[in-house]
Amino acid sequence: MRRVFVVLSGLLFLAILAQFYFAAVGAFDRPQDDDSFALHSIVGMMVIPLLSILATVSAALARAPGRLIGLSLAPLGLVVVQVLIIVVGNAISGGSDEDTGAAGLFVFGLHAVNALLVMGAAGAVLRRARAFAAEKTTVDTPQPTVSPAA
Amino acid sequence: MSTAQLIALDLLATLLAAAGWVGAGVAAAARHARAALALLAVAIVVTVVRVTTAVALATGGWWFAQDRVVLTGPLLGVAGLAAVLLAGPRLLSAVRAGTPGNSPAAVVPLLIAGYAGAAGLLFPFLVGYPATWGDVLVTVALVGAAGLVTWRVAGAGPPLWTFLPILAMGLAGVGAGFATGVDLDAGGGPESHHPAGHGVSVADLRGPTSPAPGGQVRRYEFTARETTVNVAGRTVEAWGYNGQVPGPPITASQGDLIEVTLHNADIQRGVTLHWHGYDVPAGEDGAPGVTQDAVPPGGEFVYRFRADQVGTYWYHTHQASDVGVKMGLYGTLVVGPPAKGVDLTVPVHTFGSDTVVGTAGTPEAAAGTPVRLRLVNTDSVPHRFTLTGTAYRLVAVDGADLNGPAELREVELRLPAGGRYDVAFTMPAGPVALHVDGDPGLRLGTGDQPPAPKGWPELDITRYGTPAATPFGPESRFDRSFTLVLDRGFALVDGVPKYAYTINGRAFPNVPTQLVREGDLVEMTVANRSLDTHPWHLHGHRVLVLERDGRRASGSPLWLDTFDVRPGEVWRVAFRADNPGEWMNHCHNLGHATQGMALHLRYDGVMTPFHGGHGG
Repeated sequence: MRRVFVVLSGLLFLAILAQFYFAAVGAFDRPQDDDSFALHSIVGMMVIPLLSILATVSAALARAPGRLIGLSLAPLGLVVVQVLIIVVGNAISGGSDEDTGAAGLFVFGLHAVNALLVMGAAGAVLRRARAFAAEKTTVDTPQPTVSPAA
Repeated sequence: MSTAQLIALDLLATLLAAAGWVGAGVAAAARHARAALALLAVAIVVTVVRVTTAVALATGGWWFAQDRVVLTGPLLGVAGLAAVLLAGPRLLSAVRAGTPGNSPAAVVPLLIAGYAGAAGLLFPFLVGYPATWGDVLVTVALVGAAGLVTWRVAGAGPPLWTFLPILAMGLAGVGAGFATGVDLDAGGGPESHHPAGHGVSVADLRGPTSPAPGGQVRRYEFTARETTVNVAGRTVEAWGYNGQVPGPPITASQGDLIEVTLHNADIQRGVTLHWHGYDVPAGEDGAPGVTQDAVPPGGEFVYRFRADQVGTYWYHTHQASDVGVKMGLYGTLVVGPPAKGVDLTVPVHTFGSDTVVGTAGTPEAAAGTPVRLRLVNTDSVPHRFTLTGTAYRLVAVDGADLNGPAELREVELRLPAGGRYDVAFTMPAGPVALHVDGDPGLRLGTGDQPPAPKGWPELDITRYGTPAATPFGPESRFDRSFTLVLDRGFALVDGVPKYAYTINGRAFPNVPTQLVREGDLVEMTVANRSLDTHPWHLHGHRVLVLERDGRRASGSPLWLDTFDVRPGEVWRVAFRADNPGEWMNHCHNLGHATQGMALHLRYDGVMTPFHGGHGG
């Protein structure tokens, strides 16, 4: 189960890398329309939350320390913040179809900053999941028994 | 503060509350009893703030606060109170005694309150309106399951069998979600007298075959085909009626019979003709799967209707309309004598990122000539128009003349998707410029192009013009009242689970069909909980605007076929059910309609033999 936790954390990290890639795809897509960010929306709203929840469940099943289980939920919490940044930015602008003003753009810009936090959190989960799995290996490896000198 | 801003503020408060409770739990687990106590205090304060934002939301309409009031608010309240009672004293004594205070009895209740807060944050995004019994059971079960897992991880924890009631609750909730299958909404009026599938077929509700006395027959042959158009110097793939974009303009005098034979050369997805804003007999409405089958390549359909309504209208395909209209399957329909002087129909359409104004070149207009511009928004989003160089009047909206329109200058006209504005002025000596969304659109007269104006206020058409008598009004007794709450959430769209655009929590074709009887006076309330604008469009009827956000329309009577329900807005409109049929009733942001935001309105005793239509 510890290996599963490592694999899921790795997939989560890769999904976040892909998410940055899809953000750039959306930004440079011409003509710019609702579909430009379709991949970014799907990965952000479905894939990353799902992987984050699965990683947390596998951490719990692997009996990881509570702190690590909690940490594996952090990417999900920060993704919710990502969505909320868009919602608040839209609310300031008066809706998703309206032109953005300075205040709205100030909020929207935070989407990129918070994205770095998501990646940082996922990186920390992956690093600790690997350390946790390595720890298990040392514990599980049968120690050579030292027979007392006769 | 607007309801849309309140929604955002409420979500922010919910986020902070969830973060506060989780933070207190994490701090307690990390043996920082003092920090945990401080975070607990913050969480309590933010939770109270969140109660006030929820109450404020309810003042904008029950729909905006329903999930907060019946589910996520009480859930957080109970979990938070338990956390205060269980963790509070333990943390206090830990601080006093200088002990770590990380006992599960302190940590676990705090984290569970955090999960309840997170549920309140996620629910409006994932489910939206309304929170049903099934949703309540599933949400409580999820928070409970997360709590049990936390408890077991944190220490002793309850035995495994305690998961069983939680699991049962979750499954019951999921089951309840599938069980509620109402397919008709009678709006508080009498139920259907006719069994489903019996009665007059919409296919038999066709238009007359002769014009009114004195009128003539206007015959058109349209062939929809693939073509290319030139947009800003680029060649763009398009679909057009007769290969033209916009399609051939249809004009007629009142009383004429319009007859259009539609052929499809090579549009693989099929085509139809829908007469937007024109109250044609149901069989001529061009809604595939409702009033006809889409015309396949090689196929043909003949539309006939009388030109009874004078004014500016347009036509477009209703088959895969999100794609079809975008690609160019639309044109204008103007009925009545041309205005004296210059009478220009100005369809606005966006190809990719270029918004194109349908009339090319600089029309001739000598000073002193009366000018009428008929603005048509053929896109899925609103456009903002400004007119510089002259004062003008907004004389008609959606084809219907306004009463006593005052002279306007230095205002912005916001035209909903699918809507039409007719503006009229007398040509001044200098140039007149029409800007669309701040870009040059059309210029009349000679001289330097005036720059795009900035910061002009938007005209509120519900207060423009002078009141006049209407056949019914806000005080009328309505035979049926329908409420449509627009939102986003996970729902089945044509059997596929999607993050849909929803109506009362459901997506097409699972939204209950609205049932009316001929002669009924019907009121319709449309509330928008989402953060997108929804241009609402009922086929076959024009609606009279009664109220917006609880404030009565105080200007000229407004008879609209498309009204923009912006985020947080509530519109109350009414119409007389005087055009029997089965009608589409949908968001005219056609992408939203395709993703679920559509339903039917059916007259009792009418049935449709057509199937397989979709929301768009």
